[in-house]
Amino acid sequence: MSLKLPRLTLTRVILGLFVLAIVASIVVVAAGGAPASIGSFDPSTEFALKDWVPIHLGGLNLSINKAVVYLLVGAALTCLLGILLMRFHLRQVPDRRQTFGETLYDIAQTQVAETGLPHKAIALWFPYVATLMLFIFVVNLISFIPLPFTGETYHHIPVWGIYAATSQISVTLALAFLTFIFTHIEGIRFNGVIRYFRSWIPEVPRAILPLIVPIEILSQFMRLISLSVRLYANMLAGHILILTMIGLLFIIHSWPWRALGLPAAFLFYVFEVVIVVSIQAFIFAALSAIYIGSAIEPEH
Amino acid sequence: MLAFLLAASVKNAPIVHAGKAIALALGIGAGAAGAGAGIGNIFGSMIQSVARQPELRGELQGLMWLGFALTEAVVFYGFLGGLLGYVLV
Repeated sequence: MSLKLPRLTLTRVILGLFVLAIVASIVVVAAGGAPASIGSFDPSTEFALKDWVPIHLGGLNLSINKAVVYLLVGAALTCLLGILLMRFHLRQVPDRRQTFGETLYDIAQTQVAETGLPHKAIALWFPYVATLMLFIFVVNLISFIPLPFTGETYHHIPVWGIYAATSQISVTLALAFLTFIFTHIEGIRFNGVIRYFRSWIPEVPRAILPLIVPIEILSQFMRLISLSVRLYANMLAGHILILTMIGLLFIIHSWPWRALGLPAAFLFYVFEVVIVVSIQAFIFAALSAIYIGSAIEPEH
Repeated sequence: MLAFLLAASVKNAPIVHAGKAIALALGIGAGAAGAGAGIGNIFGSMIQSVARQPELRGELQGLMWLGFALTEAVVFYGFLGGLLGYVLV
């Protein structure tokens, strides 16, 4: 007689882990994890960057720190993912691996590139926006997997923790700068200097031009801020939320409420991994495509 | 009013800390209120449009997520403003 196991669906796995989180927090509380004082827990210390391999070129600090390690791992994983999913053992009848790769490619082509870029520029700029989408997706995703890169040790064993390279404003600002520079280079290359900068000025009555033109110029630079801050603040807020909820376990003293921190942290974790990670990667690539496309073919 | 200004002029006065905490809470709270209404509006409109024309679902979905992310970012602009007030001032 064979034992009949229930079918393993994603919902059941998540529910099981949720119950596990409740049980684990009750066990930790019952085992007498001593409540700390309120001032002793500060989740923002997780985001401090220390130089591991100091590299100084003149006044520039190019040291390798936690964020750089996460970026390097993310870049290597992105290459690996692209090769394994889309360049390897392709068949007429796709298996699950190839189907996943084709889905990613399809989203990058139909949802990102074709909605933002004009037809003549797709061949030129599809690689950039698709790489952007895949890279940010991978970097966001590995930020929710515990990895031994916290830089702290506990009895000579490295402490595992979660950290996002994209929760550092310098990383997202660098990515936004790429899009910003490409936008204006392509705008000038396709339209010429005069026609491109004239396309910034909307067709309005001459009297209110002095009001409109500064706003239009400012809005070009506001794109830089909105593009970078959106990704940065999303990832930072997600990580702080999870870390704070876990920290409640050690801060709150009264009994039944202490056990609620870990399940809440787990719910936020699932929300971040399922929705925020992919949406932010998609939105960054889609907006980059729209900005570059609108510079190549201005509306007037 | 004068007493408030006098109290605030002292560095590390309790009222300064209170003001910072209020700034942080107001930043994320007010931002979340606006974005909550906006995101509800986006998904509500999406449901209505798919109910009227189900064949447009695929095209509308990309637009919906674009609008969702643009609206959701507003929360974090408010949060960032509050955080700047909390850390820098």
